[in-house]
Amino acid sequence: MNIIVLVKQVPNNTEVKLDPKTGNLIREGVDTIVNPDDLQALETAFTLKETHGATITVLSMGPVQAIDALSEAIGMGADKAILLSDRAFAGADTWATSFTLGKAIQRVEKFDLILTGRQAIDGDTAQVGPQIAEYLDLPQVTYVFDIEKLDTGYVQVKRRLEDGYERIQCSLPAVLTIIGGRSKPRYPEISKLLSACTKRAPIEVWNAADIGVTTAEVGMNGSLTQVIKTFAPKFERQSEFLEGSAASVARDLVERFKRNKLI
Amino acid sequence: MIRSNPEELVRKNIARFVDKEIIPVAQELDNKGEFPREIFEKLARMGIFGIRYPRHKGGAGGNTTLFCIICEEISRGLLSVASITAMQCLMGTNFLFHSGTPEMLDQYFLPAMRGEKIGCFCMTEPDAGSDLGAITTRATEVDDGYLINGMKTWVTDGPEASFYTVMCQTDPTKRLRGIGYFFVPRHFSGVSVSSPFKCLGTRTTPICEVAFKDVLIPKEYRLTPEGQGLNSFLKIIAEIRTMTAALAIGLQRAAMADSIKYANERVASGKPIAKFQLIQAKIANMVTNLEASRLMTYRAAAMIDAGQDALKESTMAKYFATEAACSATDECTRIFAGYGYSMEYTAQRYFRDSRFLLNGGGTHEVLQGNIARWVGL
Repeated sequence: MNIIVLVKQVPNNTEVKLDPKTGNLIREGVDTIVNPDDLQALETAFTLKETHGATITVLSMGPVQAIDALSEAIGMGADKAILLSDRAFAGADTWATSFTLGKAIQRVEKFDLILTGRQAIDGDTAQVGPQIAEYLDLPQVTYVFDIEKLDTGYVQVKRRLEDGYERIQCSLPAVLTIIGGRSKPRYPEISKLLSACTKRAPIEVWNAADIGVTTAEVGMNGSLTQVIKTFAPKFERQSEFLEGSAASVARDLVERFKRNKLI
Repeated sequence: MIRSNPEELVRKNIARFVDKEIIPVAQELDNKGEFPREIFEKLARMGIFGIRYPRHKGGAGGNTTLFCIICEEISRGLLSVASITAMQCLMGTNFLFHSGTPEMLDQYFLPAMRGEKIGCFCMTEPDAGSDLGAITTRATEVDDGYLINGMKTWVTDGPEASFYTVMCQTDPTKRLRGIGYFFVPRHFSGVSVSSPFKCLGTRTTPICEVAFKDVLIPKEYRLTPEGQGLNSFLKIIAEIRTMTAALAIGLQRAAMADSIKYANERVASGKPIAKFQLIQAKIANMVTNLEASRLMTYRAAAMIDAGQDALKESTMAKYFATEAACSATDECTRIFAGYGYSMEYTAQRYFRDSRFLLNGGGTHEVLQGNIARWVGL
């Protein structure tokens, strides 16, 4: 079995701050981590490898610094890794990202399962996994927290719902987006981490030409949406005490609700 | 070719482990004062104990610099876990790795790398510490091996250990030239281990006495050839001191981080105490000492990795970084003021733990004497 795991390197959200003037994320000096849901996807892949036998290829798109996310994945037990890195990929929205990852996946010889996290903590869109499935014309199951069966040609999973879960069987190859399950993601092994830093490490870096795309199709050029402004919401509470009799306070309150179109 | 920087990658991953697995339970572990078995096993699963050893022999293929990074990061979480880790990575397994027979490596070294067995180092005696020539534990050659007799004390991890590397005197007339290292499995007849000592700090690190009475070990359990014990000691002591300096850096960082956080939160006379110059001066000293400690320690580590003699550099690094740790933890309790005296807060633990660093690898009085001697005094 061949499993592709899609991971994203994201800023550690416990440290992220916005520049008050530009509204942009302050990335300098901020620790980066592998997106938590993607770590769950990796852990799911390693569990399948241990129980069913599998070759795990990890794929990521990002700047050269994202190599650390792939090194960590190798440290955790992935067999090989591919980083999609090219200036042309910069500024991609979820559409362009899904297209680029989809193109790269088509270059990977053979796969049975694509696993990725439900969503990334820096964008929280949860769009890339499903869009890749659409692009590749594959069945998809989102919010998967348990893989119950994996057999020739199909997979049976549990999908989290707000008030429970549903059991779904789908044919392979398929795309599953993963959320936290029973297993905590493992920590990397030091010897494998160090191996991932060597020239012989099974990590490849692909650019736009490698995956056969033009610069017009990817990155900001290929994006259907643009971020106009990013800002931190203000959490300001303004208190005002109404005085008078209970009846007059109630009347005043109703009037204010109407004025503010709350009722 | 794009590749990760191994030192940054290892530091980042160990730091994450420390933040998630050690810091949240550090106070509780210290209060209980028990060997941190669960964390020890997790560290083993990450393959940390083999950091100094080559990959083809069961290690992780790292070096002294990486070893120090790991020690520093773990010490930032809980010094006693770091000291246990250091013992398993270095003193507890080093001589076994270099001189053990293939059977000994299979039976003891590889299980130690997997965290299934614990190794430790017996050097200090009730009447001999830094003056190694005065040790009296004897290894006497007999027909079928060596007989070990004597008493060792301040044996870090001793109560939990499965095997001991024991510094013995083979010929008292030769003093330092007569010392050597011998491998003694705990289950051998004649080995007795005391209860753990009650100590001021590093409470999860078990420390005890180990007595050897007519313990017969096979010939191949001698780990250093005749006359080579002192050289082996001088080789490892530079690494022990560099590692101790790295532990001190981790402790400095913990004390400094908590001091800064508390100084920003605690308000006195209408403003955070961080705005007062005398508090700022304390923190400025911590920052400066930390930077100097890092430069000295990682320079010594780099020299060891380059195969150079780093005895002087490691001695000064250990002396400076440990004094800086004692100072930082002391100042931390002062910044915390009343809360620095409370067992509920971290400051008291840092203060107590810092004293552990003063003696391992040589007391500072001895180290200062060494440093003075190197400039001709």
